[in-house]
Amino acid sequence: MGTSSFDRRQLLAALAASTTLPFASGLARAQSFTGRKLVSSGFGGSTMDIIQSAVFTPFDKATGAASTQVPMQSAAALARMKAEAGNPQIDLFQFSGGQEAFAKSEGLSQPLSGVSRLGQIPAGLKDPDGHWVTWAVIAEGIIYRKDKIPTPPTSYKDFLKPEYKGHIAFPAITNGYGIDFLVMLAKAFGGSEDNIEPGFEAMKQIKGETIFKAASDLPTLFGQGDIWIMPYDTGNTFKLQQAGLPVAFATPKEGSPAVFITACVAKGAKNADIANAAIDAMLKPEAQVEIARTMRWTASNPETKLPADLTGEVPSVDKLAQLDRDKINAKRASWIERWNREIAR
Amino acid sequence: MTKPETKGGGARWALFAPALLFAPCAFVYAVFFIWPQASLLAISATDAAGLTLAHYQRFAGDSYYWEILGRTLGLGAAVTAITLVLGVPTAYLLARVQSRWAGFLLLLTTFPLLVSAVVRSFGWMVLFFRDGLLSHGLMALGFADKPVQTMYTMAGVIIALAQVLLPLMILTLHGVFKSIDRDLEYAAMSLGARPIVALGLVTLRLASGGIVAGSLLVFSLAISAFATPSLVGGARANVMATAIYEQAIELLDWPFAAALATILLVTVLALSLAYGALLEGRGEREAAR
Repeated sequence: MGTSSFDRRQLLAALAASTTLPFASGLARAQSFTGRKLVSSGFGGSTMDIIQSAVFTPFDKATGAASTQVPMQSAAALARMKAEAGNPQIDLFQFSGGQEAFAKSEGLSQPLSGVSRLGQIPAGLKDPDGHWVTWAVIAEGIIYRKDKIPTPPTSYKDFLKPEYKGHIAFPAITNGYGIDFLVMLAKAFGGSEDNIEPGFEAMKQIKGETIFKAASDLPTLFGQGDIWIMPYDTGNTFKLQQAGLPVAFATPKEGSPAVFITACVAKGAKNADIANAAIDAMLKPEAQVEIARTMRWTASNPETKLPADLTGEVPSVDKLAQLDRDKINAKRASWIERWNREIAR
Repeated sequence: MTKPETKGGGARWALFAPALLFAPCAFVYAVFFIWPQASLLAISATDAAGLTLAHYQRFAGDSYYWEILGRTLGLGAAVTAITLVLGVPTAYLLARVQSRWAGFLLLLTTFPLLVSAVVRSFGWMVLFFRDGLLSHGLMALGFADKPVQTMYTMAGVIIALAQVLLPLMILTLHGVFKSIDRDLEYAAMSLGARPIVALGLVTLRLASGGIVAGSLLVFSLAISAFATPSLVGGARANVMATAIYEQAIELLDWPFAAALATILLVTVLALSLAYGALLEGRGEREAAR
């Protein structure tokens, strides 16, 4: 059974190589990883399942590899990467909170190689030295209860509106969206990544509101929590809508910050070749359309052409605000210390 | 000639048997506890330049972390007190009840242990939020005039931990009450003690060892709990376990995380020894009197 499918793939590859079709080169180079395993970090829950079926299942089918994702949040994944430096048990790491920059600077990742679609990705969405690439983008903004707030919110300043008092929730700063909320509040009130003071000043006014840590709390927050408005993303808005909650997403006039979903290969990974091929599969327009359709994540590959019914639902990358991730990463620890004392105390 | 040899072998066996029997446990303990703890200690006392106490000084000089340690110990004390108050009568009744349902009832008390901390926390979430059952119940009974949010508060963490640790207290005390001879209570009563006095003078005093064991068990599990404080307590109910996680995982400051872990371990050890000595010491003094 396994042998026959292997033969068919070889035959297909040989056929493709012998033709002069435009995509022949791609097929000709389709590698075979039959009998080998790829271990990737994953985001857990339904997100991980969707990524598995949109990216890894087709990849496994095409190459014969067996890919598994190990669920862990990005911060925990980076800690695991650091703990296993030199002898990584996970080949491919997926991050959502800018951890890839730290992984590169700590020497935990290695440059991508043989990722044929890397050239299609715009410069701002990948590491100049090729250590990581953004394979999807999430748009942050405001989730609100349509039945409680009839006029859609338009600005991060709306979080200070007295009529929402007692019905506001925001993520803790250790959650990536929490730190972006702080930066966007600062921007709304005249600050920036360099001048975070207005952000803390604004957040202090709502420090008595509900602060949560994980996206898994969202359904209960909007359900039993009596929450009307919170800063989060398009993907989770879609999940809540699918769960039947009357919520909608609003793009604030300060901009929708872009969150990069990145992939990189652990330094010394035993299956670096499979990891690189899998990252190439993540950049495939077909995979990115599927991710946009099932999760409302924005495609990173400009070659991706969304079907008409999705274009209005998923903002394109050039419409999103790019925060200065290097500056945020550099100040992250000191902001967390300050936040713990001034906001969560 | 074979006889003395056998005897000698037996003596040698008697000498080595305890060591041999103890060896597997000692080995596991050394590999999975002593060695990790020692390396933790090493991480906590070093930095790029070599040996340092800087991470401990950072803790000592920062009221924020003292607050977290205090909150953690307060949590442990509150949970221990609640489980004692609820556990002693329950365990006593379950040990004394003459019913064929007694075993089943004891089994029932352990049910909270069978549910994972994460699932349990989501259950509490539904009850504890402002629009949840607890809030509505309190308002309906007239205890509150506006919605109450127990989610993301220390009170919520204490309730949730007391619920899951209560079975451990009951099981520990149940065994002890079961082993106390009822005749001792009858003897005290036949000598004129009222039942309540007999209970206090005889039963509870004989059970003090179990009370110490149960309290220590509950206390140490409560202050080292991570999932429940993190999920039910949220960002504001910061305890040592969540602070260690934040330093180790979110901030990758392993030396400071190791220092926090060491401080927690030493504090618990000292408090446990003191508590044990206090209760046992009292027992011995009274026995000597």
